[in-house]
Amino acid sequence: MNLELIKYAFLNVKKRKLRSGLTILSILIGVTAIYALISFGVGLQNYVNVIAEQAGIDKLFIQSRGIGAPGTDENFRILRDDIDFVEKINGIQEISGIYFKTVEVKKNRQLKFVFGSGIDPSKIDFVEEAFTVGVEKGRQLKKGDFDKVVLGHNYQLEDKIFKKSVALGEKIEINDEVFEVIGFYEKIGNPQDDSNVFFTYDTFESLFPDDKDQFGFVMVKANRNVDPSLLAERITDKLRKHKGQEEGKEDFFVQTFEDALQTFNNIILILSGILVLIALVSLIVASVNTMNTMYTAVVERTKEIGIMKAVGARNRDILSIFVIESGILGAIGGLIGVILGFLISSTGGKIAAQAGFSFLQPSFPIWLTIGSILFAFFVGAASGSLPAYRASKLKPVDALRYE
Amino acid sequence: MKDTIIKLDNVWKTYQMGEVKVNALRGLDLEIKKGEFVAIMGPSGSGKSTAVNMVGALDIPSKGKVYLEKHDISKLSESDLAQIRGKKIGFIFQQFNLINTLSALENVALPMVFQGIERDERLEIGKKLLERVGLQERIYHKPTELSGGEQQRVAIARSLANDPEVVLADEPTGNLDSKTGEVVIKFLENLNKDGKTIIVVTHDANVAKHAHRIEFLKDGKIVKRTKGGTQ
Repeated sequence: MNLELIKYAFLNVKKRKLRSGLTILSILIGVTAIYALISFGVGLQNYVNVIAEQAGIDKLFIQSRGIGAPGTDENFRILRDDIDFVEKINGIQEISGIYFKTVEVKKNRQLKFVFGSGIDPSKIDFVEEAFTVGVEKGRQLKKGDFDKVVLGHNYQLEDKIFKKSVALGEKIEINDEVFEVIGFYEKIGNPQDDSNVFFTYDTFESLFPDDKDQFGFVMVKANRNVDPSLLAERITDKLRKHKGQEEGKEDFFVQTFEDALQTFNNIILILSGILVLIALVSLIVASVNTMNTMYTAVVERTKEIGIMKAVGARNRDILSIFVIESGILGAIGGLIGVILGFLISSTGGKIAAQAGFSFLQPSFPIWLTIGSILFAFFVGAASGSLPAYRASKLKPVDALRYE
Repeated sequence: MKDTIIKLDNVWKTYQMGEVKVNALRGLDLEIKKGEFVAIMGPSGSGKSTAVNMVGALDIPSKGKVYLEKHDISKLSESDLAQIRGKKIGFIFQQFNLINTLSALENVALPMVFQGIERDERLEIGKKLLERVGLQERIYHKPTELSGGEQQRVAIARSLANDPEVVLADEPTGNLDSKTGEVVIKFLENLNKDGKTIIVVTHDANVAKHAHRIEFLKDGKIVKRTKGGTQ
């Protein structure tokens, strides 16, 4: 590739500022959208991967097969008896059922409905490990902690759950009972999890006596050297027989942490894929626009093409000039698009964090930046290739005569 | 006996104009030897422009043969013709035909780009050629910043970029006043003295008289051949 041809192509982009500018604008809109969307997709996947690393892939969940979020469907529950049975299965290091129920929290006559979890205080470390969260202020729940509660991170903030923040040691009303706040959990990064309240089994059972021994979900930790997927199969198989259910018609399911994250990852992938596809439509429009610009450029520069051919330009030289020119339009659009996309995503991430969705953070890997610019260059070059081909096929005699 | 550099042998060129076929050239025979200064004259519609296209390898004939240094170029592809033109023939046009986005130097260097000559060498040759036509002070000017005469001198410098055998000038003084036109003709004469073959297509007898030989074209073929005025 001759540098002189690239320089000539640049000169032409520069000379027709308005038209080049408008074409670049159409390309950069598409690139901005794609860059911003993918940066969020990558950010989310990174977040999931970090969780996977922290929680470890040796965890499994047993959940009732119901409708809605895990544990919220009250028609299906895992019973204490099921847990006792599963605990005996080979390969399990630890197991703990979690109670899960909507509760009503009240402070200064302000009322909120949130999720309350009942945790086995003797297994608190295991539960916290599985939730990848630790106590930030105050202390964990321990055996005998009756009428005591540990709150999610957001209770410490003003205007988040309640108008005023909740302090350590403060009394708070939950389902009309008074509880002492003994600790706060670290920030998880989404408003729902950060507004949960946690009690011991005993407290939960006194609040909801009818729900005793019926758990929303169960956490299992596999023994070292045990494959969690195989363990999941083994638990499914044995628990089904124990409950006398038919294969495929179980009222529960066992999922490894890895599977759950994979499912989540797939959802992220599909969602960002759909959004990127929509953004691609704008890039197709941009590509048509670029093609139009280049056709105009070819018509406008017909005489120049004739001159260049007269002084020895071969068809492929002319082809290169126009393909490079449209590629430059694409690359500039890509470059500005990446910068704008970066600004938009960063701002969006900050806004999401302020709104409590701190897990919704964009990530800007170098491959995304370089890939976006290259992609825009190729879209530009490809859009210009038909007009360029037409230019290259012009007969010098006809082109020279063109006024 | 000098070698023949360009030979047109019974060349026909037929254009399809809608339903009608127009014969722009009807069996044109023309032979030009190395080092000659030849003028081709004729009224408008005589086929002059088409003849320029054939002589300059800008187009191929419908019938007949065109030889450039004994090679038949009448069946070559567009890209092969481009290479040959770039190397063997320098063009000077009535409209100057410079590229406005490029400087004088870049315009002169352009034919060398397509022959794959290195940048430094291109610029060095370009500067020398512009010096030769007296434009050493104007090398970074754009064509729009130059007078008509200066633009034509840039075009002359460009025509010499690849040191071609033949310089083909199509109405080179057509857009210039008579004084500037004389300067341009003087350049062509000097080039001829330096050994270049010069072909001038013109309807101006004052230009043609500088040639060794004048070929008169009418209805697509040569009808008369005379010696030029200065010889």
